[in-house]
Amino acid sequence: MPGFSLRRALWRLVALWRGSLQLRTVAITVLLSAVGIGIIGSYMSLSVGNNLFDNRLQLAQDASERATVAAQKRFATVEGVVAPDLEVTMQDAYTAAAQAAATPSGTSIAILRTEGQSGPSSPTNRVTPGLDPDAVLSEDLRNDVASEGDVPQLHWQSVSLTTDGVTDPAIAYGSVLEVPGSGQYELYLVYNLADTQQILSFVQQSILLGGSALVLLIGAVTWIVVRLVVGPVRLAAETSEKLAAGDLEVRIPVRGADELATLARSFNGMASSLQHQITRLATLSNVQQRFVSDVSHELRTPLTTIRLAGDVLYDQRDSFPPTTARTAELLHSQVERFEVLLADLLEMSRYDAGAVDMDSEPTNLVRLAEVAIESVSSLAASTGTELRLVAPGGYFEADVDARRIRRILLNLLGNAIDHGESRPIVVYIDSDSDAVAIAVRDYGVGMTEASMARVFDRFWRADPSRQRTTGGTGLGLAISLEDAALHGGWLEVWSEPGEGSCFRLTIPRVRGAELRSSPLELPPVDPVPEREDS
Amino acid sequence: MNSRILVVDDDTALAEMIGIVLRSEGFEPHFCADGSEALAAFHAAKPDLVLLDLMLPGMDGIEVCSRIREESGIPIIMLTAKSDTADVVKGLESGADDYVVKPFNPKELVARIRTRLRPTPETSSETLQVGDIVLDVAGHEVRRGDARINLTPLEFELLLALAVKPQQVFTREMLLEQVWGYHYKADTRLVNVHVQRLRAKVELDPDNPRIVMTVRGVGYRAGSPA
Repeated sequence: MPGFSLRRALWRLVALWRGSLQLRTVAITVLLSAVGIGIIGSYMSLSVGNNLFDNRLQLAQDASERATVAAQKRFATVEGVVAPDLEVTMQDAYTAAAQAAATPSGTSIAILRTEGQSGPSSPTNRVTPGLDPDAVLSEDLRNDVASEGDVPQLHWQSVSLTTDGVTDPAIAYGSVLEVPGSGQYELYLVYNLADTQQILSFVQQSILLGGSALVLLIGAVTWIVVRLVVGPVRLAAETSEKLAAGDLEVRIPVRGADELATLARSFNGMASSLQHQITRLATLSNVQQRFVSDVSHELRTPLTTIRLAGDVLYDQRDSFPPTTARTAELLHSQVERFEVLLADLLEMSRYDAGAVDMDSEPTNLVRLAEVAIESVSSLAASTGTELRLVAPGGYFEADVDARRIRRILLNLLGNAIDHGESRPIVVYIDSDSDAVAIAVRDYGVGMTEASMARVFDRFWRADPSRQRTTGGTGLGLAISLEDAALHGGWLEVWSEPGEGSCFRLTIPRVRGAELRSSPLELPPVDPVPEREDS
Repeated sequence: MNSRILVVDDDTALAEMIGIVLRSEGFEPHFCADGSEALAAFHAAKPDLVLLDLMLPGMDGIEVCSRIREESGIPIIMLTAKSDTADVVKGLESGADDYVVKPFNPKELVARIRTRLRPTPETSSETLQVGDIVLDVAGHEVRRGDARINLTPLEFELLLALAVKPQQVFTREMLLEQVWGYHYKADTRLVNVHVQRLRAKVELDPDNPRIVMTVRGVGYRAGSPA
């Protein structure tokens, strides 16, 4: 649509106008100086034109006076002579006038008998070839000239001469000749002003050209000057963008000692201090990561020895006295607990240090859930809890880190068994085109609003007096939340005291995609929906 | 005769404790506490299996591992304190067959050792054909034409597992169970790295495998006999 594209072009122009200080400055300067130069140029052209015209007018008047006198003089010498001689005299007068009024661009002459006189109409009129008196001379001029009294007087008028299709400006002068024995004749002298017009055109052209050149020059000068100022500002903007994008090495070159150099220097100072801070923090983070890694190794080796020793003792506990046997049992279980706690702490600190990588691969979440349910089945059996899996829709694969998703699931299942009051636990899995979701629903004690708000906090426990069967470390949900976030997913909770709880994990099917909604309700609709196999 | 096991670990308490566990299970442990002496100890003890700590004074465990691999295919199990991807993968790529993460329990360690020391499973046929190579099951040999291809016992077992059922597609979990003896834990990197190592030896063009074929999204299967 042309209207649409026109509007778009307009928008782009507006955007360009707003976006470039340089363009704006240059445009305004050029516009204003063009107006100024235009006014000055017009005035100059006008005054030169007037001057030239006045000059020519004066010259023409002088010439006309001379011509009139010269022509009249011819007739003065032939008083009382008959007609044939008059014709000769008229020709004579015509020639005399032509000589007296000659100009470089040519003067045309017309000697016309004043109309409305009685008596013979001789001698005949004389007209310079090429001049059409009726077309050039206006009625007003002829009347003015003809109705003149006794005092000889010159009349003039601006006319236009058309010769061979070219129209030139001209001045027509009219005066009266008295022809003895015949009557009154009018002498018209038409001065062609083509040469003057040519000079005027040339002057105007020069003014126009000079003015345009001046405007262009001013534009160019402004452009250069603005560029001198805007350039460094633009450079500073580009540099700070690079800095913001993480390139900490960029600096603005400092030249001279002016305001712009001060700007560059203070900018560079800011960049240096920023770089220093960031490097310091990065070093700290590296130290922290290395520390975590070292602690990991240093703690684990003695712990392994303790673990092995404890297990050897534990395996032989039947041969010990009861007190020693119980000691071996306690050692065994607490070493195990310590181990899990250490592993969780290390995982947490790795998240805090931002030192986790994701090892993702296409994974069938239903199979993964089956395996997870299988591995907690003995724990579930010990509390008499039934575990169900509801997975309508069949086969889903998602690009996930299977180890982390399994860890989340085991954690949620462990919590559900702990708080589920031996009632059935249902694991729902569903997916849509963008996301997969797993929900673990229990029908146990549930939580209050206040508890729900804190459930993902580290080392927080819903009920400190509660017996723990799974031996959780208090970090499980905090780690699960981080695991979900690493996948770009959500881990959400719903709970009602006495109704049970539901934790829903939603992760994008493709890594890096943004989640908008979850394929599962929170909590999933009860009772278990019919299988929709086709 | 008891199997000899070389324990390379700089922590003497842990090494001694591992020794106690191994002895109680009927193995004969030998010890080495320094990476630079590990190869000498390896030559002296002529072990059936090496337990190798990754962090060692003298010479890096990974370095020791690749030195041993240069001259022998015997099973190597890494003891690692880090379960971080990079270290485990580096260890596996340098030739370790399996790894145990500290802290481990004695049963886990012994189970890993026994899996690696067990004899190759019986098969009905003497020789098997995969692609253009032939497996001599009894002789533990792999040939392409007349050229013998040197495989470690683990690599041989991996190839054999695929070759015995050429129609079957094996998931990584199935291979973990069959070759490594894992039932729950599923570190599929073990399979990935060893398939890479195996391919580097048996494939004419490892980028375009004909012997160990990838079945996208599922796992691996043996190439059809050429």
